[in-house]
Amino acid sequence: MMALIQPFAEFAFMQRALLGCIAISLGATPVGVFLMLRRMSLTGDAMAHAILPGAAVGFLVSGLSLGAMTVGGIVAGLTVALLTGFVSRVTVLREDASLAAFYLISLALGVLIVSLRGSNVDLMHVLFGTVLALDDPALTLLCAITTVTLLTLAAIYRPLVLECVDPQFLASVSRWSAPVHFIFLSLVVLNLVAGFQALGTLMAVGIMILPAAAARFWARGIAGMIAVAVCVAAASSFAGLLASYHFGLPSGPTIILATGTAYLASMCFGPVGSLVVRYWPRTHLDA
Amino acid sequence: MALVIRNLTLGYDRHPAVHHLETEIADGSLTAVVGPNGAGKSTLLKAITGTLKPLEGRIEMTAARTAWLPQLAEVDRSFPLSVRDFVAMGLWARIGAFGAVGTADRARIDAALAAVGLAGFGGRVIGALSGGQMQRVMFARVLLQDADLILLEEPFTAIDTRTAADLTAIVERWHGEGRTVLAVLHDMAHVHAHFPRTLLLARGMIAHGPTAEVLTPDNHFRARQMCEAFDDRAAPCAPGAGRAA
Amino acid sequence: MPTRRFLLFAATLLTAFPAFAQGTVPVVASFSILGDLVQEVGGDRVTVTTLVGPDGDAHVYQPTPQDAKAVAGAHVVVVNGLTFEGWMDRLIQSAEYKGPVVVASAGVAARTFDDDAASSGQSGTDNEHGTDPHAWQNVANAKLYVANIEAGLSAADPDGAEVYRANAAAYEAKLDTLEADVKAAVASLPENRREIVTSHDAFGYFGAAYGMVFKAPEGLSTDSEASAAGVAALITQIRTDHIPAVFIENISDPRLLEQIVSETDAKVGGTLYSDALSPAAGPAGTYIAMMRNNIAELTAALGR
Repeated sequence: MMALIQPFAEFAFMQRALLGCIAISLGATPVGVFLMLRRMSLTGDAMAHAILPGAAVGFLVSGLSLGAMTVGGIVAGLTVALLTGFVSRVTVLREDASLAAFYLISLALGVLIVSLRGSNVDLMHVLFGTVLALDDPALTLLCAITTVTLLTLAAIYRPLVLECVDPQFLASVSRWSAPVHFIFLSLVVLNLVAGFQALGTLMAVGIMILPAAAARFWARGIAGMIAVAVCVAAASSFAGLLASYHFGLPSGPTIILATGTAYLASMCFGPVGSLVVRYWPRTHLDA
Repeated sequence: MALVIRNLTLGYDRHPAVHHLETEIADGSLTAVVGPNGAGKSTLLKAITGTLKPLEGRIEMTAARTAWLPQLAEVDRSFPLSVRDFVAMGLWARIGAFGAVGTADRARIDAALAAVGLAGFGGRVIGALSGGQMQRVMFARVLLQDADLILLEEPFTAIDTRTAADLTAIVERWHGEGRTVLAVLHDMAHVHAHFPRTLLLARGMIAHGPTAEVLTPDNHFRARQMCEAFDDRAAPCAPGAGRAA
Repeated sequence: MPTRRFLLFAATLLTAFPAFAQGTVPVVASFSILGDLVQEVGGDRVTVTTLVGPDGDAHVYQPTPQDAKAVAGAHVVVVNGLTFEGWMDRLIQSAEYKGPVVVASAGVAARTFDDDAASSGQSGTDNEHGTDPHAWQNVANAKLYVANIEAGLSAADPDGAEVYRANAAAYEAKLDTLEADVKAAVASLPENRREIVTSHDAFGYFGAAYGMVFKAPEGLSTDSEASAAGVAALITQIRTDHIPAVFIENISDPRLLEQIVSETDAKVGGTLYSDALSPAAGPAGTYIAMMRNNIAELTAALGR
């Protein structure tokens, strides 16, 4: 038991790491659940590349300033998200192809800008942090983004669900279609960029998607899925940090592997639609 | 007039699916929209809801609220939503994005589900429904929408006769309440029995009026002459052409 | 159009072979420290192109087409060796460079990470069992570098052998002075204040040669990710050994070190230059300036 608590009691960096993970579990996983339900799970990876020109311009303007690069990254991410949503609503191209097109253009622009500047500094290396180095600004940013995310999701919950289930209907009864789509994509960008800056790409995207994927096998309704996803994310962070502490493993990948293990276990043994349910079904009921 | 259609041309890729349609739908009327396959019936309904922009002409509407039961709904059936929550969407016009669903509303939802024969289905997820059951859930939602203009596309497909009778009763009740109803249908017997007015389409208007006058063998014959396929070598339509059709 | 083609041809000649236009020997050095050494030995007879410039991180560097062009046109390529430039072999291959490659660290008594870990008392939890390439941090090795560079330049350009020998001798004299100063500076530090923390394991050779201990959370490369165990061990060690100062490097993200510092009594001492020079206007624009800067920072923070 002591082995579970002692690292967090003794070291401030462990406490902050856990706090940061819990913050991002609360904010990013609900967004991840919706991403998964809308079949946009690969958006995270695409976004990681899409923010490059924004960070590059931030670097051009203010040098190696994390603030400027983060703001630049958010602007680039929002632009790509906005254009993606717009194109998929107004032209024949669907969301996945539209996003792919824009993130590739964005990435190429970013690489171009970085090369023109002629610097050898690995921008992305500097921009992406590690969960063990969460300083006060990073923690504040994470908590702020989580608060904004939760409040926004609560506010747009109904139109968002409608937009996912029956966009035709939503368009026919209200003008919420385009706004809710864009607000949702903005939440994705915010959580990803804050996550990258604080925790690195792997952790930010992983925490968003894997718990959501695991939750699919436990709950039938959205509220249940979100609750399970948050718990899986928080528990995996705790377990991953402990493993990193006791066995000397790098923290980010270990947390994500813990989440991945939860996903695999859920896929095999979860009560809803898992392998066990499919291949070893329980006896049917009589009515 | 609930709907005034002026010289309406609708189509895809410049080929007209509905060519120079000119007619009026009276307030509170109960009209069946019939015609051969590819006659433009669904296209017309899409234009009335605003989903499809006309290639030429316009539609004037006086209805405050429109409800539409589409034929091929783009509903994501794999989304984890219960039947009750799905049907509750019909209350949007009144409660919007943030309004609470009160006890009276919950009673209305249950009543709507019962009216379409799905009492007790409230807790089921929409992914677990058959085609016919999903159709009825969509019907229940239209019920809740409390609209002035109701557009139904093939509402009785995949439905057994007993439920079809229940749904027809609901349609007739709407008519009694003074709502305007337009329904795309294929079953001529049903149209004769329950729909006082009919609009016969075959990419253009064949006839519009009381059902007995419209559904004559002559009109049916003219409708069957319609060519379903688009002509790849068609010339641009001359202004003023086709209005007589 | 004959005029255009002629202009293009002339432009290509001029851009690709500036050295020839001036009659100097084109040399490519892999990173800034080597570039400085080559410039010192070669003097006016060489034109040096450095691939990983000031403040650049050679561990994670990705070469550009410009670099390939430079390598293709070079007469001598100088690399550090000891697995420092993992990307160099492929670059040389793709540029189809067939000339001599001078490995500056040839003849150096190489250290491994295990040696570094043992000497600094770490349990090696960060699991890197590789060669430590940062040999230039020991001034004695820098003299070896200079000798190797001189030999390489003389072999490629025998006409300049005299000049190179003279330059090398003059520079070695400066290095001797530098070495003496470094030893004196370290000797002036109190015995119990010769242990510090940096971002990555770049100072193994310095520590071993001059009697200091350097610890780091990241392993040998800035590309590796820290583990909670490693960070915790470092914090514990700082607390137990009363390590007074933590030094940020010019090529690393300072946040991890700042986090460590905030949990202990250690202070952030200053910036050390490990793998790259600063820009010319900065405090570490040449190898000698770099070593002097480091030593100044160390004594300033630890001298009390």
